[in-house]
Amino acid sequence: MDEFEEILQDFLVESFELIEQLDQDLVELESTPEDLELLNRIFRVAHTVKGASSFLNFDVLTHLTHHMENILNMARHGDLKINAEIMDVVLESIDLMKALLVTIRDTGGDQGVEVAECVNRLDIAAGGAGVEAPDAVAEVAPSTSQEAESASASEKTDEEEPDYDAMSDQEVEDEIERLLMERQQSDKAKRDAKKKAEPVVESVVSAPVEEVKPDVKAEVKPVASPPPPKRPAAKKEAAAPVEAKRAPTTVEQTIRVDVKRLDHLMNLIGELVLGKNRLIKINDDVEERYEGEEFLEELNQVVSIVSLVTTDLQIAVMKTRMLPIGKVFNKFPRMIRDLSRELGKKIELEISGEETELDKSIVEEIGDPLVHIIRNSCDHGIESAEDRAVLEKPEMGIIGLKAYHEGNHIVVQITDDGKGLDTDILKNIALDKGVISEKDADTMSEKEAFALIFRPGFSTAAEVTSVSGRGVGMDVVKTNIEKLNGLIDIDSEIGKGTSIKLKIPLTLAIIQALLVGVQEEYYAIPLASVLETVRISTEEIYTVENRSVMRLREEVLSLVHIGDIFDVERVFDASEYAYVVVLGLAESKIGLIVDSLVGQEEIVIKSLGEYLKGIEGIAGATIRGDGGVTLIVDVAALMHMAKSVKSTIAIDAESKSSMQEKTKASDFKVMIVDDSRTDRLIMQKSLEPLGITLIEASDGQEALGILKQAEHDFDAMLIDIEMPRMDGYSLAGEIKKYNKYKNLPLIAVTSRTGKSDRMRGVESGMVEYITKPYSPDYLMSVVKRNIKFNLEM
Amino acid sequence: MSDKLQSIINKQNQQQNEPDASQLDDVVQLVGFVVGVEEYSVPILSIQEIIKPIDWTRVPQTPGYVLGVFNLRGSVIPLIDLRQKFGLPELKHSDDTRFIVIRHEDEVAGFVIDRLTEAIRLKKSAIGPAPESVHAEESMIEGVGKQDDRILTILKVDKLLKRDF
Repeated sequence: MDEFEEILQDFLVESFELIEQLDQDLVELESTPEDLELLNRIFRVAHTVKGASSFLNFDVLTHLTHHMENILNMARHGDLKINAEIMDVVLESIDLMKALLVTIRDTGGDQGVEVAECVNRLDIAAGGAGVEAPDAVAEVAPSTSQEAESASASEKTDEEEPDYDAMSDQEVEDEIERLLMERQQSDKAKRDAKKKAEPVVESVVSAPVEEVKPDVKAEVKPVASPPPPKRPAAKKEAAAPVEAKRAPTTVEQTIRVDVKRLDHLMNLIGELVLGKNRLIKINDDVEERYEGEEFLEELNQVVSIVSLVTTDLQIAVMKTRMLPIGKVFNKFPRMIRDLSRELGKKIELEISGEETELDKSIVEEIGDPLVHIIRNSCDHGIESAEDRAVLEKPEMGIIGLKAYHEGNHIVVQITDDGKGLDTDILKNIALDKGVISEKDADTMSEKEAFALIFRPGFSTAAEVTSVSGRGVGMDVVKTNIEKLNGLIDIDSEIGKGTSIKLKIPLTLAIIQALLVGVQEEYYAIPLASVLETVRISTEEIYTVENRSVMRLREEVLSLVHIGDIFDVERVFDASEYAYVVVLGLAESKIGLIVDSLVGQEEIVIKSLGEYLKGIEGIAGATIRGDGGVTLIVDVAALMHMAKSVKSTIAIDAESKSSMQEKTKASDFKVMIVDDSRTDRLIMQKSLEPLGITLIEASDGQEALGILKQAEHDFDAMLIDIEMPRMDGYSLAGEIKKYNKYKNLPLIAVTSRTGKSDRMRGVESGMVEYITKPYSPDYLMSVVKRNIKFNLEM
Repeated sequence: MSDKLQSIINKQNQQQNEPDASQLDDVVQLVGFVVGVEEYSVPILSIQEIIKPIDWTRVPQTPGYVLGVFNLRGSVIPLIDLRQKFGLPELKHSDDTRFIVIRHEDEVAGFVIDRLTEAIRLKKSAIGPAPESVHAEESMIEGVGKQDDRILTILKVDKLLKRDF
């Protein structure tokens, strides 16, 4: 029964698609009950589902849709006026239909959902009249010929071959073939009839024909093998003079693709982007090395073409994964309608920008937050009709849902014209619930107060209703938006209303990142979370209650050093300037102090694998142009960690290196750096009487290496100036870069006696300057003085 | 006559082939390496590749033996220092140091070892059980192989790749 499976799958996909549109149409219908086009559209959905389900032997579903179709048909002919009560029943039946379809999808059968009661009510609503509508339809309204035909065709199957289950595949095939033939003939007959009757029917036909396209598509699908004969027929019909002004609607071709394939494609593009980054880097290096060579230009051209095409390719693939946000928006008119009835308020939903597209994975994530925000707006935002009358506001409350692009982001804005958020009330509730302290409340800015509504357990509702008030919903909003690396911005004015903006990146797999450096490490921060970067001097950092803060224009921004979060060893001395990356996520902000800003780069997120999964503060890794791995910061986690990290920005490095008590002469360590073995030997001999430990290095590089290993704590260094690889001045400069060795006495021992040499020595941080030749006693006394040698010899 | 000859040849063939087949069944192929002073080994089939040390990136909030992650032709792979994992002091990487990239099911990680020894074929019968310990479940030792005069510790690959922090 493979073909049956296939037909069933197509039926389900199609039905779910139809129903998605249905909710919106129905709500619209309530406000414009006379709209014939809408009625026809809704009727056709019920009809299509009925036809297909009877063909597939889903009796319960057929039973239900039959009655739905019935009542809709009456409305269509003006025998019945749609009012709120009837709409309730119809909506209920639609819900049942959805439930049935889900059951079919999950179990393959349509048992287990009780429809009898609803059917009863449908019949009552219909006044128990006209049960045999469908066949009449074809005659009364030729405009819906496609539908009626299909239905009657399927019904025939139902009647004539009720046990087609028992038929062989071949027989089923034949049966389908036969039905098709039948249908084609009747189509043809109808077309002829139509041509004749055209001038008369025109007015009736014009509206529904627009809908021919989706319907034709729908009809074609269930019968996979022989569709070609039908297509031209449908095309001709659509291209009939009536529709001449509109382009033929059947031209747009689509193909269903498994999401997994698209994901795989996206991964491959990711690899390509990394390759491109690498290529650009190599190109730069080559350019530097072979400046002026002819082949460079050619290489340049190739690299730029590759990079251009890669970027285009990436955008193209991203687009294949894009869905209009309308897919999410569609369910809200129905929700608002239900809510407004439930709450006894009058609310209207205004949607705009539903054609704005964004990545499929994001579309899936954004539904829940929007549900919660809209429920909140209905329940807490919009006042009751009476209150609104007192406030001289229009009776109808308006909730706006808007989507638009802004750079690499999409913004979804939810506005209401309700009572707005009162910061004082918010603060008081937060205080009562112990969410914030009194001090917090006093210093809180307006935005921060608004952000309180996102705290878990926070609710402004005096009592818990079925709609909201448990203090869970907005927390969900925050978590989901954070997961998408999005931002939340709230604006509100008392009495005027509230506006919540969700700013979400367009895609998740390949992102723009800001690369920052701390000591010798680099980290990538998703650019979507970076609000701005500022350079401040260390004096602008204040400490309040053990936390570092700075003033950023009108705000006080709390600061955290990236090194404290990722426990980076602070080897180099911090300069007097600090770079602050201002991070924003959902509704909160923080300043991240870094040592350097490297630049912006396109990065591909790679997981760290099972072994290193779930490390706090790290979202993943990426491979840079130079082939190295750079970790990507998880901004949400970082903000969380920042709360518990103690500020060490101001802590002096000296307190760390706890001086060990020196008890014997050999505890003192001095390094001798000189390229001449003889000179080293002379120094050694001179200092021997002291009994201190001496370590030798033959040039600056080696000395620096020994310092880096940090095996010994040196008390002083004797440095020759003239040395290969790295001379004494540079060595001193390098050493002074290290926090730890800032106070290490460096003694120059050299044969250079010029004044300028001495000056350079002082500049590079040498404390003493001994010229060769020297007496052993002199050297010994200088060393003793500098290492504070206080033991009796 | 020829029948007889044929049967003899068959018999010979059988004899020649049989021990081989049984030997294949009974032999494990291992790659030996040194960490500290002891020689360890892992099954050759669990090794994806062996590479010379390359640069890696430190990952914060991991124990000391997790050195970080490195880039193996586009994949980001964790790097674990077996010296530190086995409680030995850190050592500067030398010319003999290698990264052994080990794969078990879907998990991959690189392990730093002091030096490689050789690929070893060991009869199963030459492998004894791991020394008894209280936590047999948690032991990283699969068994102990004896070859000539040396003793070889065979490590459990799945335990090596299991995160224990």
